[in-house]
Amino acid sequence: MRVTAAAEPRGGLASPATSSARVLRSLRAFPILLPFAALIAVWWAIHATGDFSPQVLVSPLAVWSAFLHLVIHGVMAEYASTSLRMIGFAALLSLAVGVPVGFAVGVNGYAARALEGFLRFLQGISGIAWLPLAIVWFGFTHTTTLVIVIYTLIVPIIFNTMTGVRAIPEEYGLALRSLGASRLRLVKDVYLPGALPSIVVGLRLGMGYGWRALIAAEMLVRKGGLGDLIFGARTFGQIDRIITGMIVIGCLYVVVDRLIVQPIENLTVARWGVLRQ
Amino acid sequence: MPDDMAKSTQNKIVVSGFRHVFETDDGPVQATDRVDLSIRAGEFVTLVGPSGCGKTTLLKALAGFIRPTEGSILCDGATVLGPGRDRGVVFQELAILPWRTVRRNIGHGLEIARVPRAAREATVGRLIELTGLAGFEERYPHELSGGMRQRVAVARTWAADPDVILMDEPFAAVDAMTRLTLQEELVRLCGATGKTVFFITHSVDEAVFLADRVLVMTRRPGRIKAAIDVPGRAAGRDWESFKIDSAMQAIVEQVLRLVREERGATAPAASAAVTK
Amino acid sequence: MSNAAMEGSPARRSAARRWTAPLVWRLLPLTPFTLILAAWVAYWAIAQPSAETLPAVQDVAGAMWDLAVKGELAVHVLASLLRLLLGVALGVTTGVIGGFIVGLNRPIAEFLNPLIVFFNAISGIVWLPLVIGWLGIGTALAVFLIWNTVFFIVFQNTVLGVQLVPKVYEQGVEALGGGRWETIRSVILPGASPYILTGLRSGLGFGWRALIAAELVGATTGLGQMIFGATEYHRSDIIIGGCLIIGLIAIAMDRWLLLPIEQRTVRRWGLAFDARSEE
Repeated sequence: MRVTAAAEPRGGLASPATSSARVLRSLRAFPILLPFAALIAVWWAIHATGDFSPQVLVSPLAVWSAFLHLVIHGVMAEYASTSLRMIGFAALLSLAVGVPVGFAVGVNGYAARALEGFLRFLQGISGIAWLPLAIVWFGFTHTTTLVIVIYTLIVPIIFNTMTGVRAIPEEYGLALRSLGASRLRLVKDVYLPGALPSIVVGLRLGMGYGWRALIAAEMLVRKGGLGDLIFGARTFGQIDRIITGMIVIGCLYVVVDRLIVQPIENLTVARWGVLRQ
Repeated sequence: MPDDMAKSTQNKIVVSGFRHVFETDDGPVQATDRVDLSIRAGEFVTLVGPSGCGKTTLLKALAGFIRPTEGSILCDGATVLGPGRDRGVVFQELAILPWRTVRRNIGHGLEIARVPRAAREATVGRLIELTGLAGFEERYPHELSGGMRQRVAVARTWAADPDVILMDEPFAAVDAMTRLTLQEELVRLCGATGKTVFFITHSVDEAVFLADRVLVMTRRPGRIKAAIDVPGRAAGRDWESFKIDSAMQAIVEQVLRLVREERGATAPAASAAVTK
Repeated sequence: MSNAAMEGSPARRSAARRWTAPLVWRLLPLTPFTLILAAWVAYWAIAQPSAETLPAVQDVAGAMWDLAVKGELAVHVLASLLRLLLGVALGVTTGVIGGFIVGLNRPIAEFLNPLIVFFNAISGIVWLPLVIGWLGIGTALAVFLIWNTVFFIVFQNTVLGVQLVPKVYEQGVEALGGGRWETIRSVILPGASPYILTGLRSGLGFGWRALIAAELVGATTGLGQMIFGATEYHRSDIIIGGCLIIGLIAIAMDRWLLLPIEQRTVRRWGLAFDARSEE
């Protein structure tokens, strides 16, 4: 069970150090910053040559000062932490519920067959489409946002856990049963590690959809969070704040995805040589 | 009581009137038809037959993965009701776990049986030596060659120390040269441990080389068509002398003829016309 | 593991099916829908919730029927589909062209990669507040958001597909005297097409979702606006009916439009592929 070992607190404590080192290293790495520098230059040039009203486009400098303003007054921390707490809580809850459900369905051919079409149907109705109903039911509250984000996150987690379990060769289970393994053993030694890469893929997809759904829900619910920040700025035409918010949204997602979720995925796939298929 | 004991050491496995029918989309298919066979304790029995003749069905029933539609399967005088630690299985697909190292794969059965760590490590170490896996203990299966993965699968089954070992074409997927080595190693391993082995294959050479007794199965629905004794396994076998041993080659010829008859008759008119 | 013939394998795939009559097996996917419908009817009969919380099944059907008869439903559906068509067409065209340019030029690919990762992270709905100021509320805004969503999916799949075409095929055509253009036309385009189609398939799915989100606030017509507008009057019947229609359209597009195209190409050429698909 090397993977659980890697996910244990020890690994968790070690990772901030290594990840900040990685950020430093990539900051120093010239090629990664170059395209952004080019982009900012183009943006600056466009802004300088045209005569834009500040309601339409602002200079990179204005965005930078808006960013500093939001950070110094602690506004950014408040909005960002609301969003991060929401997605973190939703991810944990979705894993806690989605993985066991995916297992229960995955080990049973009938259940899998019965649920697959339904899950696809749910995936067709994006979480955000349920927002109006959630608003009617729960009002403009955090509950509404949370329900939408969990809905968005949990479907890919269930789906991938299910397909992960079903993709495990039947012989693995048979071989262990002939070695005298109990049902619990099978889950612990075969199904869990066998489905893990697929579960991580599901989590990664779910985080991608969920983050977007969160931003969209926050825009409409208007009870804090980065979506609220950028949509609220819209009402006052504060383009500098909107762009600042967008950059923070993008950066947070990239950080969460690249520095937390992807390493777990690489670890399982690289170590076991299991193709995620 | 002693009478019972004597009987059980004589016949480890007794299959009588085994018939198995499974449902498909195109209706029921009869895999085997009244198979009768018995395997003595310590005996190495191989089973050859055309593809789809129900060999694997029979093995799965012996392992306890499927129940007979009709007939009975006894192991040590008791009806087989499910998989058990007394009957180990080596699959063609190997089924060793990709997320466990060689050492942990081989020791898995002992771990399940809650054998203490020290004893477990001793057994695993001995089997790693016996199967020539020394130096690869901490590797993962995807880092091994096909032949080595095969050895891990065999060692895992042997480590759990079952009385009976069921092997389903375990060497079908390895290259020809490696296969010869593995077969010789298997003969040695069986000589050293004295297990009762039931081994399925579609290679006649392999069947004769490994066995005390070769069983030939008819095409589907499979029945046991013939049983041929192969003397002298206890003395050990290697391919070089096997190939020039005229008595052995005569047996190979005989088995080949029996299998050929079944193959020629697999499909009705159309394929018969082709063979003419 | 081994690719030798396996006696057990084909049987295994239908292991569960073996024991069931084909009819039962075929009807199995309907059970969750039936169960939910039954629970809905039962809850409504027992708890008698207000129509605002949970309308009766027949009320939802009735509301949809009313909208359909008045022609409103068609207006919304057509508005949404038109936006989807425009956005996806734009996204696919730019995504494929961009994907080819980047896929064929490693230095460009490496240079742009950080930008792509970043903009992919904020693709779609995140742009809404900014772009409302540029394009105003309406079709242009929705089309922009769909384009933005679809582009990255198609683009990334195309790049992947172009880069994964085996070099031997190219060399084969070059050995026959084919120039650069000929290799692109006869090797890379067909070689990458399964990936492009996968990108198209999931791009359409994501585009549809982005569209609904965009329409919630960024439009005056369309299915998204229909359900969001209903929120104000607490018309749960319209919301639920609208959601179901949204799901059905998504399923229908995937099942009857995209899956067949994708499967035909992939199967005809016997290409194995592992592109980023939705699941």
